[in-house]
Amino acid sequence: MADIPDEVIMQHVKDGKLAEMSVLFERYHIRLYNFFLKLTRNRDISQDLTQNLFYRMIKYKNSYKNELSVKSWMYKMARNLHVDYCREEKRSEELFLKTDSYPVDLTNDNSGFPEEDYERLEYAFSALSAEQKEIIVLSRYQGLKYEEISLIINQSVPAIKVAMHRAIKRLRGIYFKQI
Amino acid sequence: MKCEEVETKMIDYLDNNLDEGIRQEIEKHLETCERCLDELRDSQQVLNLISKNEMVKPDDSLRINFYHMLHSQIKKSEESNATSSRKPVTPWYNLNRFRIAAGIALLICGTFIGMLIRAGFNNTYASNELKQLHSEVSDLKKAAMFTMLKEESSSDRIQAVSYANDLDNPDEKIIEVLIKTLNYDKNVNVRMAAAYALSKFADKQAVCDSLVKSLTIQNDPILQVTLINILAERKVKSALKPIQEIIANRRTLKEVRAVAENSLRVLI
Repeated sequence: MADIPDEVIMQHVKDGKLAEMSVLFERYHIRLYNFFLKLTRNRDISQDLTQNLFYRMIKYKNSYKNELSVKSWMYKMARNLHVDYCREEKRSEELFLKTDSYPVDLTNDNSGFPEEDYERLEYAFSALSAEQKEIIVLSRYQGLKYEEISLIINQSVPAIKVAMHRAIKRLRGIYFKQI
Repeated sequence: MKCEEVETKMIDYLDNNLDEGIRQEIEKHLETCERCLDELRDSQQVLNLISKNEMVKPDDSLRINFYHMLHSQIKKSEESNATSSRKPVTPWYNLNRFRIAAGIALLICGTFIGMLIRAGFNNTYASNELKQLHSEVSDLKKAAMFTMLKEESSSDRIQAVSYANDLDNPDEKIIEVLIKTLNYDKNVNVRMAAAYALSKFADKQAVCDSLVKSLTIQNDPILQVTLINILAERKVKSALKPIQEIIANRRTLKEVRAVAENSLRVLI
């Protein structure tokens, strides 16, 4: 099972071997949880969204077509789930409260950088637009290639590079202004 | 090269993503342009900080919830397969399930009528009858389980396994047949259903022991993960040794090893 590509596993799931979804879960749930966590800054919501994502993968398994990699398909769905979540939040007007409150335990020690650097980075990051956050999370935190991101967010690679450049420029601007 | 051009290529430069020619042009520009050099350093610092970020581990409840959800989806899909694909093929009176249901119905009617007649003579007798009725129904369920486990279709076998969920106090024979299913059924969905059915009785020492034992012989990664989750959720200490063996085994799939290592936090 170690070397079986995601696409083959997904095909098995489509053929009714739902139990094999557990392999995809074990491969990807931590990453996807962190994708949601960076964007929502809330552990419980990120757990719910991750759970929901795998539920949807089973429910809409037949909508998976081979033109995308399973990985891109998952991120695409994750992105839609996050957009839906933001819409709901906006409706209940909690968005403002939530983005202003600061969970402190999202940073890590033992990485050689002082804690304040991370807090400053988190602060700067939270000031970015939703699109800018998303592109930085996909590219820098999740380590996806521009080609993969291009398939996930339906934009050309050059357009993504430009957006990325602007996002980092804004991020570093806010980050260094705080010193 | 102009400042704007250097600026747009800065991330690719830092990621080492540029052709040698362009790289050299940028470096030449940086020798003379302090502003661009400052920006480059700032970007580098921010990107470094991001790259040092480590992924946060979700709570164990995420995995537990996922496996519960997966299990109920498997059951649901097998049930709907059974109703959609089988009806046209097999006449209804030939279905084992129907025969058994009819048996149960007849038995209930018969006993109930008998009870009504006797109730007239003796009220306490009626409650004994009810108890007996209850035990007879569960006997029938057991019988249904044994018959259906021999069926060719996996949905029938999953249905059979799920009968065990309705039993409060399964006897040794039931446990034995569930364990046999868990270890040897050819369909992974059925094996997983058996694991979940058994997990409901994991407060019985014998069941617990057999789940631990099954862990030592399973080499299907999906079952390994399912069993580790079940045993870790119930904090079964005797699972520690087989789990450590799974971690030590070089042929263990890395996803399984991650789950196994994670479970140690609960078990040690």
